Amino acid sequence: MIKVPKLQQVKLYAGKLSDLERVMEYLRQRFNGVTFMGYKLQNSMPVFGEINSLSDMPIRVSDIQRPGYYELVAGYRFRLSYASPKWYLLPPEHSILKVSPDYEFVDSTNNSLANKVVMFGIKSCDLNAIAVLDAILIGKHPIYTKKRSSVIAIIIEECLEPAETCFCSITGTGPTVLRGYDLAYARLDEDIVIFKAGSTLGEEIIKAAGLREAVQEQVKSYYNAVERAMSIMSTRLPHLEEIQKALRRNVINEKLWKTLSEKCTGCGNCNYVCPTCFCVEIVDRVEESYTTRTALWTACRTYTYGLVAGGHFRRDLYMRYKHFILHKFLFYPKQTGGLLGCVGCGRCTTWCPLGLDLKETLVKVVEEVR
Amino acid sequence: MTLTKLENPFTFKRALVVNVVKEAPDTNTYIIKLNEPYTANPGQFNMIYVYGLGEIPISLSNLPEHRGTYTLVNHTIRIVGAVTRAVMLHVGAGSQVGVRGPYGNGWPMREIEGRDIVIVAGGIGMAPLRPVIKYIENHRERYGRVNILYGARNPELLLYKYELNKYTVIPNTNLLLSSDIPAEGWLHYVGFVTDLINYVDVDLKNAIALVCGPEIMMKVAIKNLLKKGFKNEDIFISMERRMRCGIGVCGTCQFGHYFICKDGPVFRYSDIEEYFWVEGI
Repeated sequence: MIKVPKLQQVKLYAGKLSDLERVMEYLRQRFNGVTFMGYKLQNSMPVFGEINSLSDMPIRVSDIQRPGYYELVAGYRFRLSYASPKWYLLPPEHSILKVSPDYEFVDSTNNSLANKVVMFGIKSCDLNAIAVLDAILIGKHPIYTKKRSSVIAIIIEECLEPAETCFCSITGTGPTVLRGYDLAYARLDEDIVIFKAGSTLGEEIIKAAGLREAVQEQVKSYYNAVERAMSIMSTRLPHLEEIQKALRRNVINEKLWKTLSEKCTGCGNCNYVCPTCFCVEIVDRVEESYTTRTALWTACRTYTYGLVAGGHFRRDLYMRYKHFILHKFLFYPKQTGGLLGCVGCGRCTTWCPLGLDLKETLVKVVEEVR
Repeated sequence: MTLTKLENPFTFKRALVVNVVKEAPDTNTYIIKLNEPYTANPGQFNMIYVYGLGEIPISLSNLPEHRGTYTLVNHTIRIVGAVTRAVMLHVGAGSQVGVRGPYGNGWPMREIEGRDIVIVAGGIGMAPLRPVIKYIENHRERYGRVNILYGARNPELLLYKYELNKYTVIPNTNLLLSSDIPAEGWLHYVGFVTDLINYVDVDLKNAIALVCGPEIMMKVAIKNLLKKGFKNEDIFISMERRMRCGIGVCGTCQFGHYFICKDGPVFRYSDIEEYFWVEGI
């Protein structure tokens, strides 16, 4: 259940949609040459990329998500795009080294990277995903580390209504944010926006934008909406501890995983849209006078994952299907010092071409031990 | 958040192959010169890069040899895929390669001081164990009795044939060889190397086992060692997986929650027991 008293310690401010433009303006003045990154509409399609103004953002649409289904309609409840901040921080394809035929490094630095980035309007699930990627990659992966250190501020948009595929309250990653952000806002309705500060920069922004403290009624309807969102999601899955316990007991249950993976084709779309999946393959792209050592996203559900020249460590699809689930719920916490690898965003379900529902798999695993 | 400036960990050392030793029909040992001081623990590995093709994780098959300003390292490579094939076909004395490392943890040489050691190696699995033997030879007083069990499918596939006999003159060291199949002139055991575990005379209270070989061979070795009376925590194995980065960021070498490249490749059996028998984990 939601811990309302803790949330209420944060002072809430109220403004209008146009105040987001003022927030951007302030950040532009405060950080010279800043780039805003967030979900945006490009040819009416939601992507993750550079935002130049509020009008680039999906502020006048709602997304309808179901297993294997995504549609935008007029509204103000945009949840997320298939692309997450991972698209910026760990791009689908990135050069890690350029080498000449006599093994000299051609140019191992990439100066074209933006050096001041504000993540603008990202969701709580994606903020948590960044924390997961940080735990695995920061200080180790050169591209991720460089891009991550370019992020100077994080502005969160909290969801007050979950999509059908969302379950962030189960994974403890939303819909509200408690830490790790500078400013957060939530859309109470089409025009009213509630703000809260998560850092001194956030407080600075609120002051500069001239936002007023939210009135009692607005505070109440904000918390009511949060509570409603959480209770809707809480019915979708058993408790996390129960899921994890059931997974631990079924690690070796080959029959169960074969059944669960029956409809999976091993296409890897779930991996690519997952905001915490970080696996890459490293290949050589040979050109005239040099080769580019290139990292490409790879996917644990595809056939080549675990394939080596002398054999295959994950030969059958059920093994790879299982790895995705076990990694998210059991292994990530051990690799990250306690962070769950699933942030409850539901992308793997929405963008599964066959509409396989992760929640359904988890429920079945829990039922197996009941 | 504070971030330290990160050097690109994917840069490698340019290195020259100075000699190639034929070990078996499909296996060579490459002696590679690094123009700098370099140290590695027995059981660690390097990423070997071939221009335009890619990198492969290969364990060091000898102790690094320091020669003033440069270091010689050995890598024993068998043809299995594109990069190893390229090495075999195109890399010879005078060739350049890229080398970065060492990576991984290596065998627990410090921890096992004072213990009786049983080495169980199958086929190419001898490569990461050879530096262990050399290390023990150099620090003989630190270790107890040593039993080296080494086998291959046939005698021709045994590596380091030119020096195996020398292991028997290391004080208090026993060498047991095996061939899976009978062969002309073969005077040693015929059968699996893991059978030899039954013939080893060790003080179980003080013995540890170091195992490397094909996964199936390691499974049988562990069963036999446990049957013999070895404790879970006294068995160490060196594992392999698809590996691309060597530094725990590419994710492709995961084994349960472990990254073989940085948490391994050497594992204490008791730490991986829960995963070891699960297929495809």
